[in-house]
Amino acid sequence: MVTAKASAISHSTSSTSMETPASTPTSRPFNLSSPAADSDQTDTLIEISDFDFYYGTKQALFDINLKLDDKRVTAFIGPSGCGKSTLLRCLNRMNDLIDGTQIKRGGVKIRGVDIYGREVDSIELRKRVGMVFQKSNPFPKSIYENIVYGLRIQGVKSKARLDEIVEKSLRGAALWDEVKDRLHESGLSLSGGQQQRLCIARTIAVEPEIILMDEPCSALDPIATAKVEELIHELKKQFTIIIVTHSMQQAARCSDKTAFFYMGKLIEYADTRTIFMNPANAQTEAYVSGRFG
Amino acid sequence: MQSETQPSAIAGHQPKAFAVKKARTRFFGLTLDECIRVFFGGNAFVAVIVLALITFFLFREGGPFFKMNRDSIRVYRVAGLEYVDIIRQQEQDHTALTRYLFDIRMKVVKQLRDERGGLIEADLKAARLTVEKLLSNGAAAGAPELIQAQMRVDEFQKADSALTLEINASLAAFDKFAERYGDTVLPVRGLVSDIGEVATGIKSRYTENEDYKVARAQYLAAGKKTEADAIVLKEIDFKTEVAAITAIFPTYQQMNQEFAVGLKRVVNDLPILPVPALQPRMVRFSELTDLYLAGFPETEVRLKAWDQLAPVPWYHALAGFIFGKQWLTASFWQDWYGVVPLFVGSLMVSMIALAIAVPLGVGAAVYINQIASSREQRLIKPAIEFISAIPSVVLGFFGIAVLGQSLRALSQVEALSWIPGFPYSERLNALTAGVLLALIAVPTIFTLAEDAINNVPRAFKEASFALGASKMQTIIRIIVPAALSGIISAVLLGLGRVIGETMVVLLCAGNRIAIPDFTAGLAVAVQPVHTMTGIIAQEMGEVVRGSIHYRALFVVGLVLFFIAMLINFLAQKIVRKYRISVG
Ligand SMILES: Nc1ncnc2c1ncn2[C@@H]1O[C@H](COP(=O)(O)OP(=O)(O)OP(=O)(O)O)[C@@H](O)[C@H]1O
Ligand SMILES: [Mg+2]
Repeated sequence: MVTAKASAISHSTSSTSMETPASTPTSRPFNLSSPAADSDQTDTLIEISDFDFYYGTKQALFDINLKLDDKRVTAFIGPSGCGKSTLLRCLNRMNDLIDGTQIKRGGVKIRGVDIYGREVDSIELRKRVGMVFQKSNPFPKSIYENIVYGLRIQGVKSKARLDEIVEKSLRGAALWDEVKDRLHESGLSLSGGQQQRLCIARTIAVEPEIILMDEPCSALDPIATAKVEELIHELKKQFTIIIVTHSMQQAARCSDKTAFFYMGKLIEYADTRTIFMNPANAQTEAYVSGRFG
Repeated sequence: MQSETQPSAIAGHQPKAFAVKKARTRFFGLTLDECIRVFFGGNAFVAVIVLALITFFLFREGGPFFKMNRDSIRVYRVAGLEYVDIIRQQEQDHTALTRYLFDIRMKVVKQLRDERGGLIEADLKAARLTVEKLLSNGAAAGAPELIQAQMRVDEFQKADSALTLEINASLAAFDKFAERYGDTVLPVRGLVSDIGEVATGIKSRYTENEDYKVARAQYLAAGKKTEADAIVLKEIDFKTEVAAITAIFPTYQQMNQEFAVGLKRVVNDLPILPVPALQPRMVRFSELTDLYLAGFPETEVRLKAWDQLAPVPWYHALAGFIFGKQWLTASFWQDWYGVVPLFVGSLMVSMIALAIAVPLGVGAAVYINQIASSREQRLIKPAIEFISAIPSVVLGFFGIAVLGQSLRALSQVEALSWIPGFPYSERLNALTAGVLLALIAVPTIFTLAEDAINNVPRAFKEASFALGASKMQTIIRIIVPAALSGIISAVLLGLGRVIGETMVVLLCAGNRIAIPDFTAGLAVAVQPVHTMTGIIAQEMGEVVRGSIHYRALFVVGLVLFFIAMLINFLAQKIVRKYRISVG
């Protein structure tokens, strides 16, 4: 299993070990009907160790050590500017796009593969680690084209297969009933909440393993937020989800585990229940009870 | 106010005034704020006023052209020139046919030479080269090898002339045929030239008289009655004068009949070409002649129906300008002001320029904005933007001195002869001008396209990367489409920039006033053209102020003005749409 994963993420030069995810859906490591999600015992999926991260000369993350579970929802909380987004964006190497960023120490392993390793291709990585942004950002294309974008760039041409995935993804994002009659209208014509669910649908269409969500509900009204939260509950059966949020209630409602950050450092990481009911650290206690942040 | 009239309820407590008034310094009754407003508003309005003035001025100077053009066409008709031109057309069609014959002959000669003479020509060339080499190496006049080489030259030269003679001999029948064909038109040609002279005579006496009229009116206005009376006006009686021209009709009819019979007789006896492969061309030629002959009755009908006094409707003057295929000035026969050749020239040069500048400008914009390192950006961006600082006359100079020459040299490279139009001999042509104009358009297109690409929200790019797209895929599928309307308006503004450019086209386009021959396919690009901007710059200095020619140039200016307005309008419309679609 581990070796199969390694070759899927690595940018391998030999064509035989190159896995084409779209054409071999059954070989994917997660199974849609996997009962593992409900069982109590979990595997570590992501392992962050001794991680120091810099924007130019400015250090944004200090010595982060964190193990994230498979098929679970982990919430990152902490006051503004503490480095939640930075850490999240390190998990799919989105920070590579920013000039001058560097990792001075430590690394990130997903299923044992160092994602900053030399032969890892960041493009392959991002196909496996999807991302949903704070501000919904559908492309200025039709709803349909938004969903199939990730597949088209992987070279999927079959119309039937694309149609099938569009429906499956939109159903998965609880958006199908609302948009099934207007698939060819612009994605920008949807409401804010619908746009955010469209972005989620677009992300799950490429069948990643991990979905990173950076404050996905901060621009949404309570009803839309409730819908997305419901969706997260559904999605965690198939995906590992990491969510950054400023809402304590949201973290409490959605997540299995919670990590609290402060000034670029990981302060406390435990079961969500523990963090909110019985935090070990005084700063955590102050933050979750709303006394600062 | 009211509280003062009412007695205060509580003694000693005066209600406080609502203190919001303040005395302000005023200039001409305006506060400082208002002054600033007027100043900036006024400046903004200057632009509008200037635009309105320019429009007004162009219309005032150009507008009378149409009336004058109508008068000119009226004289053309009433003085009989139009009648002569109907017959002349027939004669010119015949000339075109003889040119076709000449073309066939050239092809035959080339073919025959290639078949047998290619060797001799190469030998002759080589032998001459040897002689030159020997001479330049300082060989003495009597040196044996020099004498030998010279003898070889003589030998090949003789062989070459013998070949020429032989080819001419094999074409004797063809030449005889061509000569007889050419001779058939001679009587008609003589007739045209005779009545043409009569018509120009009438016209020139008419214009002379008109000039006298003007002079007389000026004298009278100045109160010089004696001088005015000294001018004798001679009104032209067009009706009787032109009758002398139309009177030739029976003669013409007679001539035409003989002409037709003669042509048929000549064509019935087609010569056999010494190159059988070219024989179909001769057959085609006889078909063309048949077609030509079929047009004879129509010419006669037109001549018979021609009415000297038929009125010239006003729209003829307009259509004559907009659809006129000739721009012919200072002609002894008749001036024509048709904008088509100039318009087509401008359009062609601009299209060539865009064909080069769009890929370059947009490509560079994408590269600089999305791919280049910041060091490259710092180097390339100012360099491209600096191109627009080069004075266009300098570019034109460069075009004449360097580019035209090198492009022609390039066209003569054997390996490139597959490119349509290559090789060519005119150094200055639409291609030369187009390449330089592309240089002018690139900075405009680059800067605006780069702006448009830069305005594509970062979020689109991030979303695309997060879905596993590569840089190239993101650029092609997301960034360029999102910036497309901005890019299109950049291209439009680039077009506006090149269509209005004057100096480069004046210097480098070749300035031949004729509609390019589009039957040449892509090779049309290497033909010399003239442009709307070029013609204004070239002729405005020479024309008499207020003359029809002067006004025609203003109308060309008006056309340019409207084209520029249209392009800018479209570009703005597209940009506005683009803002909405992304917002
Ligand atoms: N592109 C960047 N260049 C330089 N510094 C950055 C950049 N992005 C973030 N930072 C800095 O890194 C630190 C962590 O930022 P980050 O965006 O991760 O915080 P955050 O926890 O997500 O905050 P918020 O809750 O406001 O989103 C901040 O001090 C911020 O100023
Ligand atoms: Mg953030």
